[in-house]
Amino acid sequence: MSHGEIIAPTGFHARPRYLRHMEKQPTQFADRAALVAHVKALSPLAGDDGVSDTRGGRAAAERLLAAIDPTAYGHSRNYLDGAVTRLSPYIRHAIVNLNEVRNRALEMGDGKALEKFIQELGWRDFWQRIYAQNPDWIWRDIEAYKTGFAPDDYADTLPPDIAAGETESAAMNHFIATLKTTGYLHNHARMYLAAYIVHWRRVTWQAGARFFLAHLLDGDPASNNLSFQWVASTFANKPYFFNLENLQKFAGMDAPCDYHTNKCFGGSYDDLAVKLFPHMEAL
Amino acid sequence: MSRFIWLHEDCLRATHPVFAHAPQARAVFIWDDAYMDAMHYGLKRRVFIYETLCDLPVEIYAGDTIDTWRALQNMAGASDIITGKTPNPALKAIMQTLREGLQITTIADAPFVHLDAAKDDAGQLRRFFKYWNKAKKNAFLYDGRP
Ligand SMILES: Cc1cc2nc3c(=O)[nH]c(=O)nc-3n(C[C@H](O)[C@H](O)[C@H](O)COP(=O)(O)OP(=O)(O)OC[C@H]3O[C@@H](n4cnc5c(N)ncnc54)[C@H](O)[C@@H]3O)c2cc1C
Repeated sequence: MSHGEIIAPTGFHARPRYLRHMEKQPTQFADRAALVAHVKALSPLAGDDGVSDTRGGRAAAERLLAAIDPTAYGHSRNYLDGAVTRLSPYIRHAIVNLNEVRNRALEMGDGKALEKFIQELGWRDFWQRIYAQNPDWIWRDIEAYKTGFAPDDYADTLPPDIAAGETESAAMNHFIATLKTTGYLHNHARMYLAAYIVHWRRVTWQAGARFFLAHLLDGDPASNNLSFQWVASTFANKPYFFNLENLQKFAGMDAPCDYHTNKCFGGSYDDLAVKLFPHMEAL
Repeated sequence: MSRFIWLHEDCLRATHPVFAHAPQARAVFIWDDAYMDAMHYGLKRRVFIYETLCDLPVEIYAGDTIDTWRALQNMAGASDIITGKTPNPALKAIMQTLREGLQITTIADAPFVHLDAAKDDAGQLRRFFKYWNKAKKNAFLYDGRP
């Protein structure tokens, strides 16, 4: 097993390992704090980076499912305050499935208004199918970087200022703090932060992906890692990057996006391409 | 000799077809800390999963997944396990190991779209729009099929 090395050596125990564990774990707790304390006791290595306000369980998922607005989604989904569903952690663990979400959307409108929403559900289905067909694509570069850089030009570990949310950019720091406290980021914020990590800081997409997986409630090997590869260009024809104007338009209502605290994103796409990808032939 | 349901992280729903497949069976979730470490899960995710489990008709045991199933085999006569289909190679590898001695049946969740496998040039998926051009025919239909 790939995770075998983490298990305590059996030789220390008088009895086989499994006999120590065959005790039913509780499913009722006085309050959430008691549940959290129990999970911490079961998972001593999971760290103590806080707990999200987002609750697990089907009831919470059904409340979100009842509230979806696929028509508003179609024209607002790219904005950080757009009508997105926040269903992802529930879909990730099949607490609801894509079929139920699509069927619910069909009750709410006609084909045209639902187009964008149902297509986005399709992205998850697509990534899951790729994962099943090519499980080895999850952690390795599927294609070469199209950035003019070689894999070795990227750092393998996440710089501490990114992990701490203390980078040069106030917007990225806001996204990092949101990720760490809520376990959720809007899709566009994920794209911005992933691009910042890979292209501005020249860190491997794998290091960025691990950071996201440790914090996202919906963290999924396929959706996360293949999206990171899409941003990085190892699973796309070109790298994804953005400029300050784009950030201000879609994230300005959520994150601090003024020039003075986000200078690294200033300029046109052409200027930024020259700065970020000096060895790349014209985009 | 008895039949069990193994609820793993990719099938945490009381209406998942594993339950319809084995309505009388005891359902078990194994809190495998080393597995979750290997998946890079932090505390937030683990709390989310535990909270989800508290609502489900499932017994939770903590331990290594393979060891725990061997124990259920020895102590409770588990012989036949029904579980959710998953793309995750780590879970598939565990299932493969368990097949020495236990019968494992995987049940797929209801699909998002029914794709015509013959026309799906299986194994060749690469870019989204190639998939979507096929999927969109059924994606806007109830249950993803005509
Ligand atoms: C760098 C990066 C990392 C990502 N990591 C993950 C991840 O670990 N897990 C994850 O589920 N999604 C991931 N996504 C995809 C997407 O950002 C999230 O699914 C979405 O933001 C979840 O929010 P929501 O439920 O409000 O989505 P909505 O926009 O309301 O969409 C509804 C559902 O459709 C699916 N979906 C929508 N867009 C996408 C997409 N682009 N790719 C895959 N599924 C999609 C999700 O299941 C989502 O819950 C990532 C995207 C990027 C760019």
